[in-house]
Amino acid sequence: MSTVVKPAATRSFHRREQLSGRQIASRSVLYAVLVVIAIIYIFPFLIDIATSFKTEPDAASDPLGLIPATFTTAAYQKLFLNSDFPIWFKNSAIVTIVVTLGRVFFNSLAGYALARLHFRGRNLMFAGLIAVMSVPSVVLLIPKFLVINQIGIYDSYAGMIIPLLTDAAGIFIMKNFFESIPVSVEEQARIDGAGTFRVFWSVVLPMARPALVTIIILSFQGSWNELSHFIVSTQSPGLTTLTRASPRSPPVSSARVRSIRSSSRPPRS
Amino acid sequence: MSTTTRQAPALRLRKKSGIRRGEAASGWLFTAPMLILLGLFLVVPVLMALWVSFSDWSGRGSPFAGNVNFIGLKNYSALLSGGGLAEQDFGTALKNNAWYVVLVVPLQTALSLLLAVLVNRQILKGRGFFRTAFYFPSVTSSVAITVLWLFLFNSTGAVNKLLSYIGITGPNWFNDPGGIFHFGAANGPGFLTANTALGVSWWDWLGGPSVAMFAFVLLAIFTTSGTFMLLFIAALQNLGGDVTEAAMMDGANGWQRFWRVTLPQLRPTLFTVLTLGLIGCWQVFDQIYTGTKGAPGKTTLTPAYLSYQAAFNNQEWGQGAAIAFLLFIIIVVFTLLQRWILAERKVSKRRMRLYDIPPSAGSGPSSGASGQTAAAIALTAPLQRKDRP
Amino acid sequence: MQRSTTRWLVAGALAAIGALTLSACGSGFSSGSSGSPSGGLTSSNKALTVLIGSSGDAETKAVNSAVADWATSSGTKATVNVASDLNQQLAQGFSSGKPADVFYLSTDALAGYASNGSLLAYGDQLSNKSDFYPSLVKSFTYNGKFYCAPKDFSTLALEINTDMWAAAGLTDADIPTTWDQLATVAKKLTTAGHVGLGIGGEYARIGAFMTEAGGNLMNADSTKATANSQANITALDYAKKLLNDGSLKYAKDLGAGWGGEAFGKGLAAMTIEGNWITGGMQADYPNIKYKIVELPAGPAGKGTLQFTNCWGIAADSPNQAAALKLVEKLTSAGDQLAFSKAFGPMPSIQSAASEWKKANPALVPFLSAADYAKGVPTAKGAADVVTDFNSKIESLATGDPKTILDATQTNLAALLK
Repeated sequence: MSTVVKPAATRSFHRREQLSGRQIASRSVLYAVLVVIAIIYIFPFLIDIATSFKTEPDAASDPLGLIPATFTTAAYQKLFLNSDFPIWFKNSAIVTIVVTLGRVFFNSLAGYALARLHFRGRNLMFAGLIAVMSVPSVVLLIPKFLVINQIGIYDSYAGMIIPLLTDAAGIFIMKNFFESIPVSVEEQARIDGAGTFRVFWSVVLPMARPALVTIIILSFQGSWNELSHFIVSTQSPGLTTLTRASPRSPPVSSARVRSIRSSSRPPRS
Repeated sequence: MSTTTRQAPALRLRKKSGIRRGEAASGWLFTAPMLILLGLFLVVPVLMALWVSFSDWSGRGSPFAGNVNFIGLKNYSALLSGGGLAEQDFGTALKNNAWYVVLVVPLQTALSLLLAVLVNRQILKGRGFFRTAFYFPSVTSSVAITVLWLFLFNSTGAVNKLLSYIGITGPNWFNDPGGIFHFGAANGPGFLTANTALGVSWWDWLGGPSVAMFAFVLLAIFTTSGTFMLLFIAALQNLGGDVTEAAMMDGANGWQRFWRVTLPQLRPTLFTVLTLGLIGCWQVFDQIYTGTKGAPGKTTLTPAYLSYQAAFNNQEWGQGAAIAFLLFIIIVVFTLLQRWILAERKVSKRRMRLYDIPPSAGSGPSSGASGQTAAAIALTAPLQRKDRP
Repeated sequence: MQRSTTRWLVAGALAAIGALTLSACGSGFSSGSSGSPSGGLTSSNKALTVLIGSSGDAETKAVNSAVADWATSSGTKATVNVASDLNQQLAQGFSSGKPADVFYLSTDALAGYASNGSLLAYGDQLSNKSDFYPSLVKSFTYNGKFYCAPKDFSTLALEINTDMWAAAGLTDADIPTTWDQLATVAKKLTTAGHVGLGIGGEYARIGAFMTEAGGNLMNADSTKATANSQANITALDYAKKLLNDGSLKYAKDLGAGWGGEAFGKGLAAMTIEGNWITGGMQADYPNIKYKIVELPAGPAGKGTLQFTNCWGIAADSPNQAAALKLVEKLTSAGDQLAFSKAFGPMPSIQSAASEWKKANPALVPFLSAADYAKGVPTAKGAADVVTDFNSKIESLATGDPKTILDATQTNLAALLK
């Protein structure tokens, strides 16, 4: 045994030695390139964080500096002590959690049906999804509002959550994934007498963990950053989410532009 | 899908035996939540918008009220052949966005592929760190990142400061309407300035994106390359090592292996990335809305923003909707065209399986982007099915 | 290809089916559009909602407290909502038939909402109607009807960096009152480090020269396009001359976003901005010493541009009578002076002028300009034409004023058809 292992080990050792000669150079180049790119990708966010601790004039005079000249937590004090931050956070959290749970369930359910169950109208459904999704969403804002308003869920958690409970992207991801699971697994369960939902719930779904993780990440990220839907579906201050309230969100920055107008200032071009 | 079709006769036999009894009922039951939710909040609004694009609805009361009239193609013809400001603005927006697409789509695809290949090296230490770093900009909301961009590309901002270290006087990015291919020339040759298409002179069509739009191009590449890198990494990890090894035995060097072996195997993912890019880039809105609102000199006006402006600022709802549906047609045509150009007549089943890897994220964090993801997958999906043996 | 074609056809079929279904449920949506009663105002005991686009905490707080005061004294409940996106939220309200009762409205948006019947034309019923500056009333008059009460306003004036002024050997006696004098001092103030006059390259600044020459893009009622008048050509010729002399530069060419930034950074010795510049200077460039004077007179005398917003009241509001009372209170001298103190703009009523001047002695030139200031065009779609005009005057230095104005004339005339 040892005689077999030893030559192999030495050989690989030798190979590594040989390669190192010309590859150390190229490998350091690789690392250098990666580090440079990583800095480019992360640096803007570091500046952003640094700026949040700067005073206004300081931020204007030294945009690149990572260390504030005068360190201030004024921005954070204002955020945590003088605003409705807890309410915004609570709303964002509630919506994000419910929407994520809903999407995991409804997307996998629909994805499974589109991938595996045979029924009339399945292809039609699929084609319909394709068609409606290529329309730019800007134009749907008011029609979406009219629907939400008409069915009486405007300005409520229901209006914020229900329309987001499923999303076409998630359905497609789940459909694609289910198609890659061998049919034989389900057939066995069926032969054992399990019903369709049972097969789905206790046989197929547990196998779809990677896809479910993807859905969770996507849904979380999507609903946490969602903005236009909340503008369309709510108006009370009590239902404001972080995206609507954040001074970085477009409404506020456009409110700033408007401020300009509201204090009767002509728009800057 | 065709796999299951091929099994159909067998299944039909079994159906009788009861194993697949009630499948149609469960199918409808399982898809019912999706049908209700997407139908109510997506299909109905799309159809309403379609009706509005053929009507003279002015934004007051319901678009189905008695005083709203069907006016045929009037809204569309004002945009395509009206000869007025509407046509000119639509032409300008198309021009701006076309250049944006032409630059962003290839660059983001190439960059994300490069990042994926670099990060996917087995020998690389700290792969997790690099992957996270490159993915980071994709997670941030497009609004926050646009604000950051305005700050960085200020005339005295970080980017120009960096450029000054290497002796370059940076442009006043978001305030510079000059086309980057005009190279500062104010007026072009007569035959280019005299002729127009959609109210925009040939000289302007050929001028490329403005410096301001170019800053948005950089932003798009910055924010999407991470997401697409993840798609490529997922695909790379599913490539069999055997083919590459065989190529290695044949004495192919790294470069040849990449072009002749790796890249062809990545075709389906490449396809998804390109389609996603096309759809996302044609619908660019958030950045314009947050950032420049079309300025300077209308050079960052895009059809999606123009649609918003027509409807919400001018109460020209019909025209706003018409712009959206013209954009819809453009997207579909471009996607089909791209599919036709890139289509490979025969794709092996093994490669097809690669295609089934779920994309891990949309082109951006907004729900609009995830809609685009799905649309892209959907639009490319028929290809794989058609080509299945 | 065959299959995918089928797929698209199927999609089309689905859309068609959907359309049929939709037209069936369409009747459900048509509840909102009942015509407002002619003449009298609606009245009920319903609470009022006020929708504003706020510039920040100061404005929100000031409006909130003013509205709360009114609610206490009148006994009618009223709440203030700060819009995330004012345009979108107004549009939502009007389309559903349940708009906010009272809201901010810009001159840009007036024509669109007035023409589709969303707005109540209540101007003539205001008890303090005659107190508003007549030119502001004109800005909110559409089709001969005075729609809404001007909320506040701003005008353009000339700001001068006093240190640079003194360094160029100029004294108070040199403050320009004519175009020639302006050209002279601008030249004297131009050095290697800064330009004499730095302004935004847009109608909202250059337009002041047009009014000084006796012109404007449209007539005062925005019923006639006057873009290519001789007065406007004179004005653009003058600006072009200054540009080519090098004594006038656009802010963007100085590397600044707007005139105030160029002025604050010391890139320009003079600029033309409105009263909003004072807040910006205080916050960002507290070390710059400057004074504000009226714009010099042109061939046709004094002139400047003014900018304003109004308090719109919805035609679909169930409680217009109370809304009108609220607006009267919000435009009263007391409230407007409080708003002005909190977030800047000038009161829109003449009776508050003397007190405002007393409180803001350095800013008097802005208010003095109210006597001759002209508004921006308010015809439906005019904002788009102005944007187009702006993109053209960016290259005024090399362009031909008449050609630019002719194109704008065509675009404006098209709006009035």
